[in-house]
Amino acid sequence: MLEIKGLSKYFGGLAAVNEFDLNINKGELVGLIGPNGAGKTTTFNLVTGFLRPTRGKIMLEGNDIVGRKPHSVAEKGMVRTFQATSIFRNFTVLQNIVAASHLNPKVVFWEAALHTSSSRKQDEHILSQSLEIIRFMGLEGVKDTPAKSLPHGHKRILGIAIALAAEPKLLLLDEPLSGMNAEEVSETVGLIKRIWQRGITILLIEHNMRATMSLCQRIVVLNFGKKIAEGSPEEIKRNSEVIRAYLGTSKYAT
Amino acid sequence: MTLGAYTSALLVMKMGWPTWAALGAATAAAAVLSLLVGYPFVRLKGIYFALITAFLAEVIRLIAEQWRTVTGGSLGISNIPPPDPIVIPGLLHISFVSKVEFYYLILVLVLVTLLILYGFEHSRIGVTWFSISESDFLAESIGVNTAKFKVLAFCIGSLFAGLAGGLYSQYNSVITPSSFGFVYAVYTVIYMIVGGARRFSGPIIGAVILTFVPESARILKGYQPYIFAVVVILIIAFMPEGLVSLPERFIKIIRERRGHA
Repeated sequence: MLEIKGLSKYFGGLAAVNEFDLNINKGELVGLIGPNGAGKTTTFNLVTGFLRPTRGKIMLEGNDIVGRKPHSVAEKGMVRTFQATSIFRNFTVLQNIVAASHLNPKVVFWEAALHTSSSRKQDEHILSQSLEIIRFMGLEGVKDTPAKSLPHGHKRILGIAIALAAEPKLLLLDEPLSGMNAEEVSETVGLIKRIWQRGITILLIEHNMRATMSLCQRIVVLNFGKKIAEGSPEEIKRNSEVIRAYLGTSKYAT
Repeated sequence: MTLGAYTSALLVMKMGWPTWAALGAATAAAAVLSLLVGYPFVRLKGIYFALITAFLAEVIRLIAEQWRTVTGGSLGISNIPPPDPIVIPGLLHISFVSKVEFYYLILVLVLVTLLILYGFEHSRIGVTWFSISESDFLAESIGVNTAKFKVLAFCIGSLFAGLAGGLYSQYNSVITPSSFGFVYAVYTVIYMIVGGARRFSGPIIGAVILTFVPESARILKGYQPYIFAVVVILIIAFMPEGLVSLPERFIKIIRERRGHA
């Protein structure tokens, strides 16, 4: 589904991402981990068109998407979430989702401007679809709450819901669990699993190791922009290079 | 506006175009210019975008001032005829010579403009614009061509500004490069902020009230701008959402009072 080859991004002399390769097959749930500053979010930005790679190939379902704008990548079926909570703050939860599903379909400009009956029918369809997403994400209780006054956990979930409303085939989640309490984490982990069971392929960046290990079949480890390991959660746990990357090395260590 | 004013005035005076066609051309000229500069401009955000549009206005003013053979330099163009009368033989004869007649013409055009803008704002395009104003990268991430929608908004705004410029030239019969200076552009932004930028009615209320305030202080003559400035600063400081938020605030205060009583 997604094929990344030799992806590199230099900021000045610094290689934020260096010769990174990754293949994601349809229906997989892959984890991308690594210490802070390893280049995980940069990779997301490169893949979704928010940054232009210095080098490398990114193929989505066989099409080269390097140089495409983020909106066109999203149209092709790859949608990402953001590490910093990103929602339409002054909209209610329902408006957030309705807006997000409004944005994605091929809006016929004049139909929308003239409120034709076919656009009205589409509006109704969007509303019922949005309500379905809200129910699926467990946000019915706060449907009419302004997004900015939601508790943190709900805001994060809303962020994912917005991405879902864009009907992705491949969903890129950037630290969906950050800042959540234990209860919210377990809820969201279940949610991610259910999204994946809907048939959406997922690439997940997450610092919460237990959650990542329990969710993903395959984990890729990044350090200083380079892939240092790839494998099943069990293999990753035992990988000495990974342990060194996380705990650091010291010449005094034995 | 300057571009619209000069386009229509020159087409009528030098090319002998009918006045209404010239108004249409003024509108089109502004729209075309906005499309040409739109894509590079919308790469800038917030205050930087505001600054570059102000610079563009200034560039057009300077061209009007320097290109003397065409624009008449700083003396501008005078004796611009008013719009041709609308005549339906035997039924209707509306001329636009007096101020009152002109008032009704502008009133009708303003209402039509507001209707069109209201339609846009309450369509799916409006929803998209609101989402972009909330968070443009989030909108982009879920498939909105934000650049396109920003240029569209810019173009629609420019189009009506071009029309307004054309009308002004035909109303005033004289235009000079300083007819619509930088200060004028700032005033329109102030109207919007004072009224409330987030509501459809905001800019309308802002424009109406801020036209009346200096008028009512006319006796104070030279001090008018000071009074204007004080009013604007007070409103921005105490009502950041603009005058449109006033009724809601009153209701809230009354509710709270009752709650405590």
